[in-house]
Amino acid sequence: MDCTFVTQRIGFSRFLAALLAATALVCSPDYSNAATNRSLGETTQIGELPVSGVILDAKGQPVAGANVIEKGTSNGVMTDMAGKFSLTVKEGAELEISFIGYTTQSLPARGSMRIVLAEDSEFLKEVVVVGYGSQKKVDLTGAVANVGSEAFENRTLPNVTQALQGAIPNLNLTLEDGKPTRSSSFNVRGSTSIGQGGSALVLIDGVEGDPSMINPNDIESVSVLKDAASSSIYGSRGSFGVVLITTKASKKGRTTINYTGNFSIQRPTESPDYVTDGIEYATHFREAWYNFFGTVPTAMNGFQQYSDAWLDTFKERRKNGIKDEVVTEDNGSYTYYGNTDWYDELFKDNTFAQDHNVTISGGDDKADFYISGRFYKYDGLYNYNPDTYKSVNLRVKGSLNVTKWLKISNNMDLSNSDYNNPTILSRAWTVQRFIELTAFPTMPLYNPDGSYTKSMAATLGAFESGNNYIKTNKKSLRNMTSFTSSFLNNRLHVNGDYTFSYQTDQTDAKSYDVSYSQKAGEMLIRSGQNTAYEFHPSTTYMAANIYAEYEQKFAEAHNFKAMAGYNYEKSKYRNSSMSRNGLLLSGAESIELSTGSNVTTDETIRNWKVQGLFFRLNYNFKERYLVEVNGRYDGSSKFPENDQWAFFPSVSAGWRVSQEPFWKVSPKAISNVKVRASYGSLGNGNVNPYSYLELLNVSTSGRVINGALNNKITMPAVKPSNLTWETATSFDAGLDISFLNDNLRFNGDYYIRKTKDMYTVGVSLPDVFGAASPKGNYADMTTRGYELSLTYNNHFMVADKPFNFQVKAALFDYKSKIDRYNNATKSLGDYYEGMTIGEIWGYETDGLFQSEAETQGYVNTIMQASANKAWHAGDVKFVDRNDNGRIDYGDNTKDNPGDRKIIGNSEPRYQYSFGLNLDWNGIFFSAFFTGVGKQDWYPTTESSAFWGQYNRSYNNMPQWHVGNYWTEDNTDAYLPRYSSLNSTMGRGGSNFYNDRYLQNISYIRLKNLQIGYSLPQRWIKNLRLQRVQVYLSGENLFCWSPMYKRVTGFDVLTITGDTDSDLSSSNSQGSGNSYPLLKSMSLGVSLTF
Amino acid sequence: MKKIINIILSLSLLTLFGCSLEEEPVTSLGKQAVFNSEDGLKAYMYGLYDILPTPDGIQQSEANLSDYFAYSGVNSFIYKDGYNESSSSSWDWSGLRSINYFIENCEKSTLSDKIKNNYLGMARFLRAYFYYDKVTTYGDVPWIDHPLAVDDPLLYATRDSRETVMEKVYADLQFAEQNITQGKESTCTLITKWAAYAFASRVCLFEGTFRKYHSLSLSTSSDTWLDRAATDARFLMDNGGYSIFTTTDSTAYRKLFTSDAPKTSEIILGVCSSASLNVYHKANWNWNTASYGNCPNFIRPFINTYLMRDGSAYTDKTGYETEDFSSECKNRDYRLYATIRTPGYKREGSIALPDFSGFARTGYHPMKFSVDSKDGDNTLKNTNSLPIFRYAEVLLNYAEAKAELGTISDSDWEETVGQLRKRGGVTSGLSTKPTKVDSYLKTTYFPKISNPVILEVRRERAVELCMEGFRFDDLRRWDVGKLVMMPWRGMFIKDVNVALDMDSNGTPDVIYYTDDAGLASAKSKIDWDKYKSTCAVVNVSKDLTSSIVTVIPNGTGYNLGWGTKDEKLRVFGKKQYLYPIPALVITKNGKLTQNSGWEDGASNDGSDVE
Repeated sequence: MDCTFVTQRIGFSRFLAALLAATALVCSPDYSNAATNRSLGETTQIGELPVSGVILDAKGQPVAGANVIEKGTSNGVMTDMAGKFSLTVKEGAELEISFIGYTTQSLPARGSMRIVLAEDSEFLKEVVVVGYGSQKKVDLTGAVANVGSEAFENRTLPNVTQALQGAIPNLNLTLEDGKPTRSSSFNVRGSTSIGQGGSALVLIDGVEGDPSMINPNDIESVSVLKDAASSSIYGSRGSFGVVLITTKASKKGRTTINYTGNFSIQRPTESPDYVTDGIEYATHFREAWYNFFGTVPTAMNGFQQYSDAWLDTFKERRKNGIKDEVVTEDNGSYTYYGNTDWYDELFKDNTFAQDHNVTISGGDDKADFYISGRFYKYDGLYNYNPDTYKSVNLRVKGSLNVTKWLKISNNMDLSNSDYNNPTILSRAWTVQRFIELTAFPTMPLYNPDGSYTKSMAATLGAFESGNNYIKTNKKSLRNMTSFTSSFLNNRLHVNGDYTFSYQTDQTDAKSYDVSYSQKAGEMLIRSGQNTAYEFHPSTTYMAANIYAEYEQKFAEAHNFKAMAGYNYEKSKYRNSSMSRNGLLLSGAESIELSTGSNVTTDETIRNWKVQGLFFRLNYNFKERYLVEVNGRYDGSSKFPENDQWAFFPSVSAGWRVSQEPFWKVSPKAISNVKVRASYGSLGNGNVNPYSYLELLNVSTSGRVINGALNNKITMPAVKPSNLTWETATSFDAGLDISFLNDNLRFNGDYYIRKTKDMYTVGVSLPDVFGAASPKGNYADMTTRGYELSLTYNNHFMVADKPFNFQVKAALFDYKSKIDRYNNATKSLGDYYEGMTIGEIWGYETDGLFQSEAETQGYVNTIMQASANKAWHAGDVKFVDRNDNGRIDYGDNTKDNPGDRKIIGNSEPRYQYSFGLNLDWNGIFFSAFFTGVGKQDWYPTTESSAFWGQYNRSYNNMPQWHVGNYWTEDNTDAYLPRYSSLNSTMGRGGSNFYNDRYLQNISYIRLKNLQIGYSLPQRWIKNLRLQRVQVYLSGENLFCWSPMYKRVTGFDVLTITGDTDSDLSSSNSQGSGNSYPLLKSMSLGVSLTF
Repeated sequence: MKKIINIILSLSLLTLFGCSLEEEPVTSLGKQAVFNSEDGLKAYMYGLYDILPTPDGIQQSEANLSDYFAYSGVNSFIYKDGYNESSSSSWDWSGLRSINYFIENCEKSTLSDKIKNNYLGMARFLRAYFYYDKVTTYGDVPWIDHPLAVDDPLLYATRDSRETVMEKVYADLQFAEQNITQGKESTCTLITKWAAYAFASRVCLFEGTFRKYHSLSLSTSSDTWLDRAATDARFLMDNGGYSIFTTTDSTAYRKLFTSDAPKTSEIILGVCSSASLNVYHKANWNWNTASYGNCPNFIRPFINTYLMRDGSAYTDKTGYETEDFSSECKNRDYRLYATIRTPGYKREGSIALPDFSGFARTGYHPMKFSVDSKDGDNTLKNTNSLPIFRYAEVLLNYAEAKAELGTISDSDWEETVGQLRKRGGVTSGLSTKPTKVDSYLKTTYFPKISNPVILEVRRERAVELCMEGFRFDDLRRWDVGKLVMMPWRGMFIKDVNVALDMDSNGTPDVIYYTDDAGLASAKSKIDWDKYKSTCAVVNVSKDLTSSIVTVIPNGTGYNLGWGTKDEKLRVFGKKQYLYPIPALVITKNGKLTQNSGWEDGASNDGSDVE
C-alpha cells in the first residue's frame, strides 16, 4: 500500500485522495465485507457475469482503493494495491467506477476489463496556499498563481530564485549575472514605487525568509498573491504582492528514502568575443586613435608602448614566421608581439557542478517526520583561483499529535554557503572590465623568465597570486515551532507559531600587491591596497503569529468562514565593518596582521518592528456566489509616532456562472466559468527605518587633514513634513474558464495598480535652497497589466499505454505611467507627469555621411567624433528634427527636447513562457521556454564590450566589429568611421542616444529541457527500490534575440541593470563585463527506497 | 468556544499594547550632541573642508580654460555658439547651506564664545570662499546667511549687487582673521588665521582690479579694495613667519610641487595625499597620458615670457622666433625647467623628452604637478601635496596692489618679485623696480598697459603661478579675456621630413613628416633600425584646415600648430566676463535677471570682440 505515496510526480489532490482511500481501506468494515463477498461467491450462477479487471490512472499506474459498484445496487468492491478487482454482477449490468480525484465512469460490464480513469479536474479539488491558510482554487476570488515542486525537479541550480525565473506569470526575477550566489528581489506585476520602492514579501512557511537560502528540493509549492485582496492580510509589507513558499510535508506511512544526484557540466552562454590577433588589434587601435586625435599614439593605455615602427616589425615578424611573442632588447626591456586570447585564459572551457539530495520521511497517526539534506558544489568558472561555491542545507521537520485536537510541529532549517570571489587589485571593478582596458592581445601573460607582464598583473595575475578576493560565508538558522488545534467538530481551528531566525553574511576581503616585470631582472610592483576588510552583517529576527478560523454551513447553501489573528515581528540588523591597510605578508588572512594607519570602522544598525491584527471573512452561496473581505490593522516602527498605525481593507467577489441553474452548456464543451474581481488598498511599509528623523551622519572624510582621515559629520537632509504612507490600490478582474471536461483551462487577469503619494522629491525649490527639496508624498503612478495562461492536458493510448501530454503557455505584460510628479518643466533627466516608465529619448539618424561634401553646413556642436569636432565621411548623421539648423537638445525638456524624441523603451513587454510535458511508459520529456516580446536597450557609455575602440581606442576590439565599420569601400556598414571617444554613438551618456544603435533585446530562451526514464517496477522490485529515475536536464541551452543578428558577446539577460553589485562601482563598469550566465547539461538519478 | 476566543483576544491585546513600536536610531547623532561639544564642532568642520578644492581639482584647475594652453578640444565657453544659458549648469548652493547650518547652530551652542568664535571664523572663511567663486563666475548673486526653510522669502529674492556681496565677503574674512586661533602649523592642512589673510589679499586684489579695468563706478572705489589687498598681504608678510622656500640648487621650485610633505615655510594651506592612508591623486595620469583629459600643451608666446637667467627678456634676443627647442631652453629662468620637460630632464634615470608624438603636440609638455616616477602615469598614484594658498601668491598680490595703486617702492619690489626671480636663478633686476616697458609683453599681451612695473608683475604672476588656477580669473579682472583667442603655436622646427635632434645630444628624437615619402626619406638618412625605438614620428600637415598637427612656415622653418582649423571659432565677447545664470534657475525664480548679453538663449556668438 505504500507505493502510491512515493511517486514524486504525484499531484497534491491525488495524494490526498489516495490517503483518504487508504484510510477507508483500513477503517471501513463495509468494504472489507465487500472484499469477503467476492471470496465467498466462488460459484457462478446463470445470469451472472464474473468480471475482473484493472483500473489505471492516466499515467498507467494502478489505482488502488477505487470503488467498483454494480450500478443501482450495493454490490461493489474496492481495487487492491495492484488496481485489480473482481466482482460478479448481473449480465447486462453497468459498472460505476469512482475514485476521489477522478471522474466517475459508467461502463457496461464485461468479463475482463481494463479501465483508465480520467483525472477529475484538479481544478475542482486543487488547494492553493493563501495567507494564513489554504483555499480551494475554485473558491478563490483574488489573483493567485502557483507552481508545485515540479518547477524544481531534476534541475541543477544553485538556488530557488534561479529556478523560479519565468515559472509564474508576472513574478519577475531579474538576475544581474550568473554567479552561483546570485539571487534577486521578487517583483510582482511590474513597477512598484518610484519613491520608497518595494518588492514582494517572501514568506517561507508563513514567515519572512530568504529564498536564496532554502533547499529547492524542499519546496512543495510556491504561491504568488498578486492583488491587494489576496495580500492585504499581510498589511503594509504585502503592498506589492506576496510570495508564499511552502515546504514539503512529511508523508505518513512507510518510511521512504529518496536520493537524488545531479552532475552537471556548465559553460557561459555568451561572453565577450574579442579580437585576439595582435596585429589586427594594434592596427585598429592606431586607426581609432588617429581618426580622433589626428596624431599617432605612443602607448596603449600606458601598458605597452606603441609606434608605427613596432607595428611594422610585428608584421614583418609574422611574414617571416617568427612566433616568439617576447623580444628582450639589448637594454633588457621586453618588447611584445603577442596574440593572447585573454578570455580563454580567464574562463575554463567547462566547469562542473554537483548536487546531492537525500530526503527521509515517514510517520503514522501519532507522529511524522521529514529530514532532508543537500550538498551543492560548483567548481568555479575562472581558470585561476576559481570561484568555488559550496552550500549545505539541512531541514528537520516533525510533528506530534498530542491529543485528538492538538498537533504540535517543529520545522528547523539550517544552511551554510561559501563562495570565493577572486578579484583584481581593486575591489571596485570586475576582471572583465580590466581585461577590456588593460589586457590587450598584443601582450602575453608571462615574460620569458616567468614573471607577469603588466597586463597580467592588472588582471589575472591578481587572481593567480591568490591574494585578492572577496570570500563570503552565509549562514542561516531558522526554527519554527507551531501548533494547530481543532475544536467543535473541526469547525474551529486555532493555530499559532513562533519563529526565530539568525542570518549572517560574513565577508572577508583582501587586496595585495602583484609584482610584474618589463625588463629582464627588474621587478615592479603593481600596488594593491594591501588591505584586509571584514564585514559582519547579521540579522536577528523573530516572528509570532496566532490565528483562529471558524467555519459554518447553513442550510446546505450558505457557507461561512471567518479567520482572525495577530502577528508580531521584530528584526535587528547590524553590520559592523572594518578595514586596515598595511598587510604584513602576502599570505596574511586576517586584519590582525595589518599594521597600516588607514583603519576604518563602520557600523550600521537598522531595527524595526511590526505588528498587526488581521481578519478574513468568506461567504459563498452554493459555491456559486463568492465573497471575501480581508483586513489588517497594521503598525510599523518605521513611521513617525503619530502615523504608525493604519487600517487596510480589501474585498473580492466571484461568480461561478457555470454553477447557475440556467447554465446548460455541456461540461464537455465548457466545464467551468468563473468571473471575479477584487479591490484593495495597502500602505507601503518599505521605508528605511529612521528616514523621518533629522539625523547627522558620521562618516570618514576622504581628505587628509592634520595627517589623518578624520571623522566628519554632515548636514542632515531637510526633514520631510507631514510624511504619510504611500498606498498601492489595486483593482483586479479575472476570468477562469475551462473547456473539454477541464482538459483545457484558461485564466486571465487584468489589473490596475495605482501607487499614490509616493515619497519623492518635493516641489522643486530655487537652487539657493542648497539641498534637495525635502521629499514628501508627491507622486502618483498607475501600472496596468494583464496575465493570460492556457493549459491543455490530455492523454491517448500508444501501444496500449497512456501517452500523456501537457501544453501550457502564458503571456503577461505591464506598463506604468507617472500621473503626478514634481517636475514642472518636464525636464528629461527625471520623471515627469505623463511619462511612461522606461522610455528612452534619443536622436533620429539618417545613416552615415558618405562624403566630406555632405558634412558641409552640418552643425552639431554637442557631439564629436574627432578631437577638433570636425565631421567626416563615415560619421553618423543626425536629423535636425526641429529644423533650427543644428543638432541640439533644446531645453532638455519634454516640450522642448530639441531634436530628440522617444526612440524606445527599456522595460520588458509582452513576456511569455510556454512548456511541453510528455510522458509515456516511464519515458518523460519536458521543455520550457521563456521570452520577452519587446524590449530596447541602449548600450551605456562604459559598455565597452559593445563599443570597443569607439569608446577608448585601446579597448579590446569586439570580433563583430571587424569588417563592420564604414570605410570608403564599405559604405553601408553598421558602425561609423573608426574613431575613438565617439560621442555620436552614445559615449557621454543618455543625452546622446540615437535610434541607429538602439538594440532590440527581445528574446526567446529555452530555459529547461529534460528527458528521462523511470525504470519499470519489475526491474527494480528485487532491489528493494520503489522508483528509479534517470534523466538528462539542460538549462539555458538556447537563446535567440534580434540583437544577435549583429552583436555577439552579450547575454540579453545580463546587460541591463547592475554589472556586479558585489563590487563598489557596479553601475559604471559597463554592461557585458559581468559574470556570464551559464548553460548547463546535467545527468541525474533519483532513487526511492 | 467563547472562552477560547476571549483568551485569544486578551492575549493579542496584551501583546499589542505591551510592545512599543519605538525604534531609536543607534548609529547617527542628534543636533544637540554635535553642536554642544567641541569634538562635534570639529567633526562637522572637517566635513566643511570639502568645500576646498581636492588635489585633482587643483592639478586640473587650468586643464580646460586659459590663454597659455593649447587643448585637444576647445572649451565650449569660448567656442563660437557653443555656450548659452541652457549650457550653464554650475549653480550649486549646497556648500553654502552646509556652512550656514553650521553657523546657525554653532551660534546657539552652549560652548564658550572663544571656542565658538574660532569655529565660526573657519566657517565664515569657507563662506567667503564659496561666495568669491560665485561672484567671480556670475557677478551679482543673492546673499544668504542662514539655512533657508522651504517657505523662506529669500528663496525668491533678487540678486544682491556685487558691491553688497563683496562687502559681506570681506566682513566674513575680517571675522576669520580676528577669530581663528590656529596659527602656522606643520601639516599645512588646517584652516589658519593666515589662510584668512592670504585669501583676503586674493579677494581684494581681484575686486580692486576688476572694478578698475571694467570701469565699474561703485560707491566703494577700486582703490579701497587695492588698499585692503595690500594691507592684508602686508600684515601676513610682517607677522605670519612665512618665507619663500629655497634650496642651494636650482630645484626649489620643482620640489615645492612634487614633495609629499608641504614645504611649511611657504605653503599656507595645502592639500595632502598619502600612500599610507590610500589617498592619491592622478596628476601623472592627467599630465602624461594623451588620451586622458583635455591634454593641455603650452604655446610658444607664453614660453617666450620666461626670462633669461641674466635678467634680460628672452624676446629681446635677436632671432628668438626661429630658435629651436634645444636653443630656446638654454639659460632660462629655472622655473621653466620645472614647468615643462626640457632637454636634460630625466625620469627614472633615462632621458625624458616631451612626448612629441603623443601628449606634446606643441612640443611643450607640462610637468609642474607630475612627479618623475612613472608609477602613476596611468593610474591613481600621486601623493605629492599641492598648494591652495602659498606665500608667493601673497607677495604677488602685494606687489600688484601696490603697483596698481602706484605706491610700489624698490624695497617692495625686492621683497616680492625680486625674491621669486632670485629663486628662479635670475641674477639681475632683483632689487629695483623695472623702468623699461617690455615691448613683447605689451604688444603680445597687454597693449593698454604702459606701466613697466605692472607689466613685469603680470609676467611674474603668470610664470610663478601658472597652472595653479589663477589665469582665467587674472584675464577677466584685467579685462583681457580675448587673449584666450590667441593662435595655438608651438615650438619652432627647422624642417619637416627630416630627423630632428631636439636636445642636441647627437641622436635623432623626432621626425615631423608630411607624407609617407617624406617619412621614408627621413628614415633613410639615419640608421633607422638603431633609433626606431627612441625616435618619434609625427604626421603633420601644411594644410591649416587639417585636423592633425599643422606646420606654419616661419622663416626657413616652421612653427608647430594645433587647432588651426578652428582658430577663428574661438571667441571672447564682452558678455563672457560673466557666465550666464542657468536658464532653469531663472525659470524657477523669475526675479533673477540674466547677465547682460546672455538673455533669451543668446549664445557666445563672438559679438563685441574687438
